[in-house]
Amino acid sequence: MVLKIFIIAILPLATAALFFSSCKKAPKIERPIKVGIIDCYSGPPAVYAKDALNGFKLALNEINKEGVLGTKIEYTTRDTKFKVDIGLSMAKELVMREKVDLLVGTISSSVALAVSDYCKGEKVPFMVWISKSERITGEKGHRYVFSTGENTAMAGKAGGVALAKKPYTKYWIAGDDYEYGHAIADAAWRNLKKLKPEVELLGQSWWKVGEPDLIPYITAILAAKPEAVIFCTGGRSMTNVMKAIKATGMAEKVAIWIHTATDHAVLKPLGPEAPEGVMGTMDYHFYYPDTPANKEFVKAFKEAYGEPPGFPAFHGYITAHFIAEAFKKAGTLDREKFIDALEGLKIASPVGEIEMRACDHQAVLPMYLGVTKKVPEYDFIISTDIVTLTGDEVMPTCEEIKKAREK
Amino acid sequence: MDFASLSTQLLVGLSRAMILFIVCAGLSFILGVLRVPNIAHGSLYMIGAFAAYSIFTHLGSSSSGFWLALILAPLVVALVSLVAERALFCHLYQREHLMLLLFTFALMLILDDLVKITWGPEYCSVLAPNILRGSVSMFGASLPRYNLFLLIVGPLVAIFLWLFVNKTKIGKISRAAAVDREMVGAVGINVSWVFAAAFVIGCFLAGLGGALVAPTVSICLGMDHDIIIEAFLIVTIGGLGNIWGALVGSLIFGVTHSFGVLLWPQFAIVFPYAAVVIVLLLRPRGLLKSVW
Repeated sequence: MVLKIFIIAILPLATAALFFSSCKKAPKIERPIKVGIIDCYSGPPAVYAKDALNGFKLALNEINKEGVLGTKIEYTTRDTKFKVDIGLSMAKELVMREKVDLLVGTISSSVALAVSDYCKGEKVPFMVWISKSERITGEKGHRYVFSTGENTAMAGKAGGVALAKKPYTKYWIAGDDYEYGHAIADAAWRNLKKLKPEVELLGQSWWKVGEPDLIPYITAILAAKPEAVIFCTGGRSMTNVMKAIKATGMAEKVAIWIHTATDHAVLKPLGPEAPEGVMGTMDYHFYYPDTPANKEFVKAFKEAYGEPPGFPAFHGYITAHFIAEAFKKAGTLDREKFIDALEGLKIASPVGEIEMRACDHQAVLPMYLGVTKKVPEYDFIISTDIVTLTGDEVMPTCEEIKKAREK
Repeated sequence: MDFASLSTQLLVGLSRAMILFIVCAGLSFILGVLRVPNIAHGSLYMIGAFAAYSIFTHLGSSSSGFWLALILAPLVVALVSLVAERALFCHLYQREHLMLLLFTFALMLILDDLVKITWGPEYCSVLAPNILRGSVSMFGASLPRYNLFLLIVGPLVAIFLWLFVNKTKIGKISRAAAVDREMVGAVGINVSWVFAAAFVIGCFLAGLGGALVAPTVSICLGMDHDIIIEAFLIVTIGGLGNIWGALVGSLIFGVTHSFGVLLWPQFAIVFPYAAVVIVLLLRPRGLLKSVW
């Protein structure tokens, strides 16, 4: 009888104690984690923004199956229309009205920098996934901004490191006359000159963004007879540059390096008009590295969206995993703890383990140097003879970042 | 700075001038006959390029597809412009220039969005036919075959235009209408249809320019803005409404650009605009006689 009373009295107490203690170990979060995405979903950049969002959604499907801290990650998107003022007001709206836990975006560097500044003031974490300005995690970097994409400093350094191994000494630099073009050119030339002091710059050509007729530039460059040309171009100018290279047969006469020339999104629409023999660097290929992890990611992405993932999809995918892992590690939705958890965090990705560098909040990504070539397996031109430049090789050191930020 | 590089530079500059001429001749023709500063002309050029892309891909991206696209795409643009003229423009010819300017600007924005809805925001690409791919050696330097092709097409278009304006009845009427439209109406000619025809022909040229430029660039939104500014500068320095002024202006623009690139590559963008400034300082009303 005494025993019975004892059991009746103790059992609920014990279960209650057990319940509370288990709660303490893994606190249940009552509400979903909210991610606010601002990106350009109209106009030509929308292709990249949608690709990134698809990668992000794919990762969320995987993550939400088992949940994060007992809850799910949700997201809302806003269109920045590639404009700084719209992007900024969308960011404010997401933080103040939608009460998102963190912001993610965007393809435009100007929007990213403006939003980054806002997030610094509001103490809201902001993860940049496509835009490539090195200033985001370089001189304008701060505690609340992270980048899961590559940037111009990494791209330029990759080019410098790659070209320093080649026998060329006479160079020409050509590109789009805007920040991206000049940033790549500066980083590439600075690193090349450091690694190989005997290189000589014969001249430079800069055209306005979207310049329709590049043939005169190419013929003028060829007339100067450089051994290698560094093209600093992107977006729609990239197609024009590639077509002009093919039309003039330039790749057969001089060595050419263009960052992202080996991007599938660049090469596929060009079809047989893509030039062969152009050196390019790229931070992601769906056909390389040929590992089970990458194959699995590509297969899942193709099943979901009908086409292979581009580099933005890869960045979107790892961004989601970084967010999930950081919340798991932090064990709470507290923004400061989330940032602490994200610093130095390592996650598994389709291309191997990726670290979020603690000193500048820049994801350490490898860079793939390859040469465009026609191969029988594909009906479009791909990057071949790929050499992997590790993240440590292509990233500015923590000391360099520190110096840039002190300026 | 040897002979080879100078001559290739001249030839590539001239080939660019040919595209500019075809587009600007259309713009200038409309300016002359209708007195409409058609800012939407660039959008029609863009539609020409996109239409060429669609026709080309529907025909299996073959060489014959390209030739057919080159003929059909300008006709598509002509059709679009005919609808625009009959539905909108023909009610507005009596309005003042500022109104027309605002109207065509609005039309440009509308056409831009229609292009986005129809073709989407992606970059599109058209392949040149086999025979025009690659380059040929000339004077010891290589010149893309497609540019040589443009050098043949440009003068052909100029000859056809000359024949049209000087030898056909409608051409003569439109020249007369450019000088004195009331008089043309007074002698019993249906001016309304002359205007429609002139507008459609001008827009056909925009479409032809778009189709011709398609294999050399990425076809995308925004290509209209690039060309329309250059086009207005060219027709201004050539003399508003004068087709041959458009030819002279295009040649100046194309050649100064390509030589600028050779001489001072870092600041090449400045050269054509500097040429425009010089021409306007010396001859504010344009090089050739303006009908305005």
